[in-house]
Amino acid sequence: MVSVGQHENIEILSYSEVEEVSGFVGNFKVRVRKKARYVDEELCTGCGLCQEKCPAKGISSEFEAGMGTRKAIYIPFPQAVPRVPVIDTENCIWFQRGRCGACQKLCPRGAVDFEQEDEIVELEVGTIIVATGFDLFDCSRTTQYGYGRCDNVLDSMQFERLAHASGPTGGRIVLKDGREPEAVAILHCIGSRDENYNRYCSRVCCMYSLKLAHLIKDATKAQVYQFYIDMRAFGKGYEEFYERLQKEGVVFIRGKAAEVVPHDGRLLVKAEDANLGRLVQIPVDMVVLSAGLEPRHDAAEVAHIFGLSRSADGFFLEKHPKLAPVETASDGVFIAGTCQGPKDIPDTVAQAGAAAVVALAMMDKGKVTLEPFIAQVDEERCSGCGECVLACPYKAIELVEGKAQVSETLCKGCGTCVGHCLPKAITLPHFTDEQLVAEMQGALMELEVA
Amino acid sequence: MYEPKIVAYACTYCSYPGADLAGTSRIKYSPNVNIIRVLCSGRVSPELILRTFREGADGVLVLGCHFGDCHFINGNHRTAKRIPVLKGILEFSGIEPERLRLEWVSASEGERFAHLVDEFTETIRQLPSIKQVIR
Amino acid sequence: MNRLEPLRKVVDDALDKMDGVIALRKTSGLVAPYLFRDKEELDELTISPKYPTPAILRLIQTAHPEAKLGIVCRGCEERGLIEMAKRNQIDLERIRVIGLACTAEEAEECRCAKPYPSVLIDTHVGVRTEPVVNKLTEELRQKDMAERLEFWRSQFDKCIKCYGCRNACPQCFCPECTLENDLWVDAGKVPPPFPTFYLIRAMHTAGKCVGCRECELACPAHIPLTTLYTLIREEVGEMFGYEPGVDLEAQPPLVLPMEVES
Repeated sequence: MVSVGQHENIEILSYSEVEEVSGFVGNFKVRVRKKARYVDEELCTGCGLCQEKCPAKGISSEFEAGMGTRKAIYIPFPQAVPRVPVIDTENCIWFQRGRCGACQKLCPRGAVDFEQEDEIVELEVGTIIVATGFDLFDCSRTTQYGYGRCDNVLDSMQFERLAHASGPTGGRIVLKDGREPEAVAILHCIGSRDENYNRYCSRVCCMYSLKLAHLIKDATKAQVYQFYIDMRAFGKGYEEFYERLQKEGVVFIRGKAAEVVPHDGRLLVKAEDANLGRLVQIPVDMVVLSAGLEPRHDAAEVAHIFGLSRSADGFFLEKHPKLAPVETASDGVFIAGTCQGPKDIPDTVAQAGAAAVVALAMMDKGKVTLEPFIAQVDEERCSGCGECVLACPYKAIELVEGKAQVSETLCKGCGTCVGHCLPKAITLPHFTDEQLVAEMQGALMELEVA
Repeated sequence: MYEPKIVAYACTYCSYPGADLAGTSRIKYSPNVNIIRVLCSGRVSPELILRTFREGADGVLVLGCHFGDCHFINGNHRTAKRIPVLKGILEFSGIEPERLRLEWVSASEGERFAHLVDEFTETIRQLPSIKQVIR
Repeated sequence: MNRLEPLRKVVDDALDKMDGVIALRKTSGLVAPYLFRDKEELDELTISPKYPTPAILRLIQTAHPEAKLGIVCRGCEERGLIEMAKRNQIDLERIRVIGLACTAEEAEECRCAKPYPSVLIDTHVGVRTEPVVNKLTEELRQKDMAERLEFWRSQFDKCIKCYGCRNACPQCFCPECTLENDLWVDAGKVPPPFPTFYLIRAMHTAGKCVGCRECELACPAHIPLTTLYTLIREEVGEMFGYEPGVDLEAQPPLVLPMEVES
């Protein structure tokens, strides 16, 4: 990421949002709102002094998945690029009560600027790649597992932070009261393969669950129980990793966990062991929920902004599932990564490369091949009534000297004007009335069956 | 009972792929429907629909994108206005307005498309053949 | 009450400022639209029966765009002008509209909802009368589907494809008409195809028809066309809140996007 930040041809607009996209392939105009972070990017060196001295602490950290805290002025995570903090105005004492301002006083470069305002940036680009990622399934929706109610029930992201050397416990896998767990259960398919939440398989959870099991085995002496429906170990080295974990002594129970209840100060996991054909109840100290991947909560708005469709599962729709996985119905807009569907890192990297190459090839050509669906006006038939001008979603038609005229670059060939025009003065090549009527007559023809 | 003949005009970016999905998913649906692809449901004119009835279609289905999802921004808005007016005209003239139906089908709604087609075919089957209307 | 004398006076005044005034003229016992230029001609000015004068205004204005013209308009004719103006068919800047109110009998005959002009006019002749409830549309609404089909089929069976309805309609100004395109209407066949010919025309009136009844008056087979078009007009009014011929600023609803929160 650092090399991305340093590359002369890459401009990172962080803490920014795309508000509007207009134009067409080769000629997009993108309006971006650079939100005010109240720190001047040009002056800040990322020394972190502001963060150190900020008195507003104890705020739940998004990056730590709620397992740790941060300050009101903070750099989101240690590897953030650009390494510039942002002020959380909801929790900042200056913004809430007009007092403190310690960060501003202490910053050696005077980079803190409470007056900073949002900035609108207008970009002109030829192609767009949307790689907006996913949201983790919110396990509080599956109330039967005790997430948010019982201590020591974590989702996978929280466990990642727990086990991470730079996390809130320095990598020590411990219960809430600080003890090491004697037994941990990992529950697969939370929010996935489930007609109550998401029918699809989130693809990555089996492998990351195995990884978490491995981390536990490595760092503690805990017994690990893994409750799964199927083990999806489809990639290079994946099946071998699964075998290794079996050898490490992880107990694999084929049966999705039904319920987690507190019991005798511990947690009881109830499930059916489908291989043995009997119900089991296993007491553990910690439960890790392998949460699935979902489209981001704002996927509908993002899709709308970029002109993307979404598939039934809510992820952005590719042009063709096999032959065009990174293109979309909107020419010049590509998708990559988990915004298109759940996938792991190797697949995401491959797809990102694909999207980059397709975008590059398009730009390298320098020309865009247009579809020939451009509305045409027969001026002799046109009365100049102007109704087509109002009908066009792209405002591609205007009246010139009393006759309709179509802009070839703006017209997308939808044919709405054609569908409306009373005298049929405007036509759409390849979808003419004659052609459609011929198709329709063919469809309705009575066939003689010999 | 006769076998009704139905023509469906489906838009390229939402309803046609939706119908296609029904096919690739091997979902069975009534064979009475013939699908004709247009770029946008906005392309479907009242003249075309009336001619379709005249040529012997017992029912006409116009399929487009859900509101907000039209690939051509809001071509489907015009369809949404045009079709109810035409249905009103059919009704005033004594032609069953149920013969013309407008539905929004997205590219991922293969099952819904099949269900819709079956339902519409059944509705049309209960009506007399269009030949009795157009004579 | 006598409308002819006051009208003659108004037109006389108008001729001072206008190059001509379109109104009705009676010669040799026959009435036809006429472009009055000289005041002497006003002896032949008359009021009824009504004629599709807005369509004639369009023709004259197209041929002489710089001319300043006056036109005598009843309520329906003014409505026709408004819809034509929205579609760039006439230039309102260069015309003066002389309003003529219909009598109660005339309003009754036309089943007119607003038998007087009020939007474009600067002078007005005659007493404004009450709107009339349209009983024929009510009768049609009472019929069931089979009765309606039978009714319209028997009516349209009389059609001789004279295109009188289309020719008389002020809103039919297209240089070439869809109804003469053999893709939709077979050439050389009478009566024209049911329901395509009639319902295409009906659809074309949606959002445009002002209920002037010229189509009905022109039809040699006395097909009650306006009744059908009035039903459609009421439907469009209910669906989109649009009333043709009332507000110059209101845009035709069928071509606009819906106001919808996405």
